Amino acid sequence: MAYAHSDTTGVASEDLLTPFKIVIGGGFGVGKTTLVSSISEVRPLSTEETLSTASIGVDSLAGVSGKRTTTVALDYGRLTLGNQVTLYLFGLPGQERFSFLWDQVAYGALGAVVMADVRRLDDCFASVNYFEKMGLTFAIALNCFDEAPMYDPEEVRAALDLDPDVPIVMCDARESRSVRDVLITLVETIYASQYRAESRWA
Amino acid sequence: MAGGYNKFQRRNVGPVVRPYAVTGGRTTPRSGETLDFIDVVVSTGETIGVVNPAHDTPEHRKILRMCDRQTTVADVGSATQLPIGVVRILLGDLIEQGSVTLVRSRPAGSRPSTKVLQEILNGLRAL
Ligand SMILES: Nc1nc2c(ncn2[C@@H]2O[C@H](COP(=O)(O)OP(=O)(O)OP(=O)(O)O)[C@@H](O)[C@H]2O)c(=O)[nH]1
Ligand SMILES: [Mg+2]
Repeated sequence: MAYAHSDTTGVASEDLLTPFKIVIGGGFGVGKTTLVSSISEVRPLSTEETLSTASIGVDSLAGVSGKRTTTVALDYGRLTLGNQVTLYLFGLPGQERFSFLWDQVAYGALGAVVMADVRRLDDCFASVNYFEKMGLTFAIALNCFDEAPMYDPEEVRAALDLDPDVPIVMCDARESRSVRDVLITLVETIYASQYRAESRWA
Repeated sequence: MAGGYNKFQRRNVGPVVRPYAVTGGRTTPRSGETLDFIDVVVSTGETIGVVNPAHDTPEHRKILRMCDRQTTVADVGSATQLPIGVVRILLGDLIEQGSVTLVRSRPAGSRPSTKVLQEILNGLRAL
């Protein structure tokens, strides 16, 4: 199939919509949906996926012969930043049984946020491992649940065995300002590494 | 930020029709190429159904109308509330028959320049 590229569609390049993707990972119930909905302009996305081997054994489908698909609601958020640049936020489904969707969701992402609850840090190991393996720049957002104790970010870094350049920030997923600050920190980190790369070429 | 979206916050409704009925049971796009969630599409102005009348369903038309202006696969999914897998297949039909074209402005996964990143930062700081 012939796909036209931007220079052949007759659409002036200044009109080009430039979308970027940021994915939100973290364990079950850590606040991903809350974070995406507190900053987004749009409603969530549903997706219907053919069950892969990764999801065989799903309880609710056991014994239902011929059932090959299941509906997953994806956290999906959009932030229009000026005329052309749009940020899309996608939550990675927290439950293990939907992890077969992660590659599709995270493909081509600009960066990622891993939400963590200090009371159960190990829940975010899977996301951290996943983004590290992908080579994707990520920030850790420590979600400030009211009952959660305050932690020194460096303790968290040690516990998660994170590189020194991975930012760790506090976040209240219910507050759009707080979510915005997490995104700024992430993009600043991406900027810094891109700046170093561009300096090397110059 | 625009108001009024909060009522959708907990929305998790299934599709009204059995989703893959509208694709004729197909679960992968004909072209074999899977559209990414943020791939940008736009209509070409070609009349729908010229190539294949089977691609002239209400869902195809609905999606085509959304492509009057550049839009993303995810935005089509969100606006129509059709599952993203279905949207990708129907968009694939429209692309195949030339009614819609894929606008790839940059190779997927390539990191934007500091100039573009600065634009993103400025936009976020202005929120
Ligand atoms: N106190 C407090 N509660 C929060 C915060 N973020 C989320 N919550 C609450 O925690 C619960 C779970 O949040 P969700 O956003 O549904 O978590 P999730 O990560 O999307 O969960 P799954 O999709 O099921 O994995 C909800 O009841 C939220 O209201 C926060 O920053 N502070
Ligand atoms: Mg959720």
